[in-house]
Amino acid sequence: MVGNPADAEDLMQEAFLQLFRKIGTFRGESAFSTWLHRMTVNVVLMRLRKKSLPTDSLEETLEPDAENSGPKRDVGAPDLRLSGAVDRVNLERSIEKLPPGYRTVFVLHDVQGYEHNEIADIMGCSVGNSKSQLHKARTRLRDLLQEEIRQQAREERKAAKSPTGSLD
Amino acid sequence: MHCKELESVLETEGLGQLPKDARLHLATCGVCQGLLADLNSIASVAKSIPAEVSPPERIWISLRAQLEAEGLIKEPVEAAEHSSWWESFTALFRPRAVATASAGVLVLAIAAFVARTEHTPKPGAAKHQPVAESARPVPTQVTASVSSQPAPVASLPASKGTTPSKIKELAPSPSESASFTLNQAELDVPNMQLAGNSQVDLALRQNLRTLNAFIAECELHLKQNPQDELAREYLNTAYQQKADLLAAMMESGRGDN
Repeated sequence: MVGNPADAEDLMQEAFLQLFRKIGTFRGESAFSTWLHRMTVNVVLMRLRKKSLPTDSLEETLEPDAENSGPKRDVGAPDLRLSGAVDRVNLERSIEKLPPGYRTVFVLHDVQGYEHNEIADIMGCSVGNSKSQLHKARTRLRDLLQEEIRQQAREERKAAKSPTGSLD
Repeated sequence: MHCKELESVLETEGLGQLPKDARLHLATCGVCQGLLADLNSIASVAKSIPAEVSPPERIWISLRAQLEAEGLIKEPVEAAEHSSWWESFTALFRPRAVATASAGVLVLAIAAFVARTEHTPKPGAAKHQPVAESARPVPTQVTASVSSQPAPVASLPASKGTTPSKIKELAPSPSESASFTLNQAELDVPNMQLAGNSQVDLALRQNLRTLNAFIAECELHLKQNPQDELAREYLNTAYQQKADLLAAMMESGRGDN
């Protein structure tokens, strides 16, 4: 969720510290794993807010600004197919570029296998909101991956035009 | 259905089974086919990303240090070892403690009974009778079984040719008489198998040793404090217990001689 191992380790410790401090508040209304996940997400989001990312509220976290949503995609226009071009490395790199809200829902659902009702419980949102965020995360990733492919293609063309590496 | 409507369906329904209208549109729209294929590819590759990553060991060490610093956890290892040692020690000791406590209660109860018996002698009862005989007939058996030993207390005054009235003056005190009698009876115990089970045999001998130690302590105390009636009562009761124990040992065991 945070995009780098160092921050992830710090936040992991913080999340477990919060767990020990607040274990007495666990009432068993949800599964313990759900409660822990919710606490962890909150810890991460708090840190991200402190870093002044464009997430001043949870709503903005879950509904990133459209202007900052990345490459525009015209519905119905021909798209660069990703078939065969999506590998784990590219995908992980693209995930790091997602806004926090999209990234959280995508990781919880497609990577960790949580259901939408569980994600809604963790994130404190509705099931519909979770589904919507997931779809938007996937389409954003598609756009990022397509951009990644185009960038790689441009670099390959450049490399092919000037074998010595000099720019034209 | 248009492409935008299909995307709306994908947003609400996910990548699973799509409604008929959406499937009909997909059959004729290459763009939407591409979109659906790419989204499925992304979801499929995402499953190969590890859901959990084990953090390095230093993270757990650092976390533990922070938790201990905040007092949220305590070091349980030494306490557990200490308590387990103590638990096992007290468990070993507990039965004997219970037995000792029970014996103490019994001593007090019998001491009270003996004290009342001594202060209110029954008519016709010989005053020089050993304390043990006045309570239970068992010591008689003990004295009777020791045929090679010196004459029992009851016959001692007669052998000396003294009158009953002088028995009390010349004869040893009831405590000393009982002690003598019991010690004589105990002479054969070391050579006897006291029970069919060696563990029971050991237990009986241990009980006898404990009782002897208590008697010795009481006798020493009385020598220093001859006026201590309570100690005298305790001692008399201990003699009674020893007599009972010796009788039980001799009844259940058999000689090796």
